[in-house]
Amino acid sequence: METTFKVYRFDPENGSKPDFATYQVDLPDSATVMDGLRHIRDEQDPSLAFRASCERGSCGDCALRINKKGRLGCSLKIAKTVKNGVVTVEPIRNIPVLKDLVYDLEDFLWKKIKAVQPWITPREPEPEGEYVVAEEQLAEVRKAMSCVMCGLCDEGCAVIKIDKDFVGPAALTKAYRAVFDPRDGQHDERLTLVSEPGGVWDCTHCFEANGHCPLGLEPTDRLFEVRDEAIRQGIRSGTRNPKVQRHYDSFLNSVKRSGWLDEGRLAIESEGLTNIAGLAKLLPTVIRAIPKGKAPLPYFHHKRPGAEAIRRIIDKAQRSEV
Amino acid sequence: MKYAFYPGCVSRGACPELYPASVKVAETLGIEIEEVTDVGCTGAGVLSRDLSDPINARTLAKVEAMGLSSLMTICSTCQGIFTQANHRFKNEPEYRQKINTEYLAEEGLEYKGTVEVKHLLWVLMEDYGVENLKPYIKRKLTGLKVAPFYGCYIRRPTSIIAPKGLSGRKTYLEDLLDVLGAESVDSSGKSKCCGFPILTVNEENSMRMVSDHTGDAKTKGADCMVTPCPLCHLNLDANQPTAEKQAGTQIGMPIIHLPQLLGLAFGFDEKEMELQRHIVSTEAVSRQLEVSIRS
Repeated sequence: METTFKVYRFDPENGSKPDFATYQVDLPDSATVMDGLRHIRDEQDPSLAFRASCERGSCGDCALRINKKGRLGCSLKIAKTVKNGVVTVEPIRNIPVLKDLVYDLEDFLWKKIKAVQPWITPREPEPEGEYVVAEEQLAEVRKAMSCVMCGLCDEGCAVIKIDKDFVGPAALTKAYRAVFDPRDGQHDERLTLVSEPGGVWDCTHCFEANGHCPLGLEPTDRLFEVRDEAIRQGIRSGTRNPKVQRHYDSFLNSVKRSGWLDEGRLAIESEGLTNIAGLAKLLPTVIRAIPKGKAPLPYFHHKRPGAEAIRRIIDKAQRSEV
Repeated sequence: MKYAFYPGCVSRGACPELYPASVKVAETLGIEIEEVTDVGCTGAGVLSRDLSDPINARTLAKVEAMGLSSLMTICSTCQGIFTQANHRFKNEPEYRQKINTEYLAEEGLEYKGTVEVKHLLWVLMEDYGVENLKPYIKRKLTGLKVAPFYGCYIRRPTSIIAPKGLSGRKTYLEDLLDVLGAESVDSSGKSKCCGFPILTVNEENSMRMVSDHTGDAKTKGADCMVTPCPLCHLNLDANQPTAEKQAGTQIGMPIIHLPQLLGLAFGFDEKEMELQRHIVSTEAVSRQLEVSIRS
């Protein structure tokens, strides 16, 4: 198959600006994008830099932006992605490029993964032999075990795009792996850690990450499960962002009281009744909304029919959480 | 076909213009709706699913008890939460049974898993038929440049929201705008998050999303944006002045609810669609509509 490869080129050492170079490649239909890059390097331009290792989608090394989508180069056939005879290959976004298709994952991924402490801290003294865990106990963990840390979910994350400090779906998927491991003894500490600012509550749950994971691990779902487990354990925020807990509790109490949301009260209680500066910050929005009839009167919130039944459901669900 | 109608909290709260506009559109088209009143908030993705799933199963059981099989929403967030919960109820019968036994039985309710939940946008495009809208269009929106803004919950997770056979859901807004005579303006963030879910937790990031989306629509020449989600509306409209301040720029992008835009095309005037309630002035939209009528 004859294909034009448009490949991102950048070499900080020669001071040139990033640009695209064009290469003509003729490979069998079974060839992958990585085969194409290797062919270019071996046959046409030995200066082309890229990362590749396992060649079977197991190491995550070759995460690239291919025809504007984050993909693993070794797992994507040219024939599957080629558009009008062209395959465009770039480094993933929001990340410092070292040379051509080689980028620096340290701040983008590794620091964040280390920050969630994705190792098991045993609950009990380590056994002399191997740990034996029943298969059914690992059912949850298996949902995240095969993550290869390629970073493609972070590459597609809408929050990381604007806030490099957000821990991101990749690290939170690793956190999930540890949170649901039956051997772990740091369950609540771990949940508190990921509930700090920049953690699980900073996610917009837009499900963008699910579409970017090449292994179908559904990182947003994993993140939801970590968050739900934190709530189940009574951990509604970390130690440094009490606003999250106030917001959650106000939302919950509103639905419990009336069946639906007292939006005005939610805004006030999320800031905190004694947080004068926080409440003052709400004022401009409220002042703009009042003349338009868009500022629902807080606290004078009527009960919806069915509110009692909903309260009973919440009470019962909360009892079963404990 | 008759639909149970779930208006959600926001259409009766901070976006009170959405509820009457939706009802007027349904009445105009002869879509029969019956509001399901004695049910709760979906949890909006805030409440833990341990709590929200039983509440939402109860709502769906109520719809079945009304003898109906379709629930119409007018909020993408409600739609998304219902779709995800209903997916679990339909595909995990043991889970559904557990919720029925533990939570619904004492009210004499049972959710059998028969309800389809559909946003008004999906009802129009999949059940009503876009061609059938044409006779009701009294005022073509010719010349009006509209940037569709889906937000996230009506687009993802793709495997559940727009599975094989329903992938057309990704372009329903553009398809609808085409029929209404408006010009679609393609903005890069149209299916991204509006920032509302993190408004309380991280206002700076949330406002950055607002200014990015509205600013992009402005740069691309849109007269307004249209959204099927009142939470997107709240953030993009009510919080646009805050986002402008943070970004240090003036944007002034009018944000229109989907039913309002339909209503304008069906001949309702701006006042009947309550555009005057919006925080960002919609005068640019009115001016363009006047130009369309004169020409």
